[in-house]
Amino acid sequence: MVDINLVEAGIEQILANQAGLIAIGAGLAVGLTGIASALAEKDIGAAAVGAMAEREELFGKGLILTVIPETIVIFGFVIAFMLFGIIPVL
Amino acid sequence: MAFLIRRGSKKYPYITARVRAMKSKLLPREVYPKLMNMDIPEITRLIGESEYKQDVDELAQKYSGLDLLEHALNQNLARTYRKLLRVSQDEPNYLITEYLRHWDIWNIKTILRGKNYGAPAQEILDAVVAAGQLGYRELTSIANMESIDDIKTALGNTPYYAAIANYDGGELSAIENELDKIYYSRLLASIGKSKGEKLSLKYIKTEIDLKNIKTLFRTKKAGLVKDDIFELLIPGGMELKSGDLKRMSSLPWSDFLKGLEDYSYWSEISEVVSEDMTSLMDVEALLDKYAMGYASRISHYYPLSILPIYDYMLRKNNEINNIRTIVRGKKVKLPDEIIRKHLVM
Repeated sequence: MVDINLVEAGIEQILANQAGLIAIGAGLAVGLTGIASALAEKDIGAAAVGAMAEREELFGKGLILTVIPETIVIFGFVIAFMLFGIIPVL
Repeated sequence: MAFLIRRGSKKYPYITARVRAMKSKLLPREVYPKLMNMDIPEITRLIGESEYKQDVDELAQKYSGLDLLEHALNQNLARTYRKLLRVSQDEPNYLITEYLRHWDIWNIKTILRGKNYGAPAQEILDAVVAAGQLGYRELTSIANMESIDDIKTALGNTPYYAAIANYDGGELSAIENELDKIYYSRLLASIGKSKGEKLSLKYIKTEIDLKNIKTLFRTKKAGLVKDDIFELLIPGGMELKSGDLKRMSSLPWSDFLKGLEDYSYWSEISEVVSEDMTSLMDVEALLDKYAMGYASRISHYYPLSILPIYDYMLRKNNEINNIRTIVRGKKVKLPDEIIRKHLVM
């Protein structure tokens, strides 16, 4: 005879593991894209400040160009959000 | 390893963006015809309202007229180049420093020439451009020295000492040559192996070629003998290698012109070169124009490299030369046509 309680405990454990893996995936999605945007923005930001130092009117353009790689992290955030949606409710 | 540490990391985004913004502030091409139609006071005023304002204002108490303009231009050039050194870091800074040694060489030549002809220190200082490693204060103290030995001691710790160590007054051309060779060999050695730097190397080598071609034209025209000409040429060019230089320096005038057809620079100058040409002005202006066009073309290939900075330095120098050509030409009342031929746009 199979102990029904044992089976339930096993299933719960598996579900919990899956939820954990999905959460790690979501964390990676935000974390790695964050690093990627940072790498991209580093050079653009430096260049924007350099151009601004000579021509102040470039501030607006520099600011916009600097935050364009921010889209990368937004994609990551969206993915993380979608992953959270499929985490089974315990 | 020490070499790597001295060069440091590649910090190009800031300096190249800043240099491009500085480039956009240079005088546009349309201004030169306007300047041609003005008198010297009007030109001084126009220049005084542009990027040169600070220099013109500062020097207006001491000088006036042509002198004022001349000094303001020199000071502005030195100030601009020093600014490049100030705002750059690590590798770009190192490469700019090496490139700007050109002005050290220029200043040492100026001082030695001045001393040779017994010019007063003030007159010598009027002609120096303190844009290299030797600052204005050092140059002042060197220009004030009476004997050649003192000057040699003062330059004892610089890389240029090797060239002037054996100088004891008299003929300068050998020393000047030696200084040029030291400059270019240092410059060539300073550039590394990455992709962008390979292109920089190509640019420097092209610059050497153009300089050699100019020297060849001048010396051939003056009728120097083969060995003397070869001595004056700088090794390390792109198309004109040592063997080519040796061959070219031994050819008589007409064969030399024919020999030039083998090189890519020929297409640039073919229009104005002929066997019975009397003035080298056109050829030199065209070669300068080619150098500028080349620099601006390759500066777009690798935007994050030293190339846009070389391009800017060349353009700034050219702008100052153009303004100077116009005012000097106006002063001696040269016809507009001749002044225009001298301008490199």
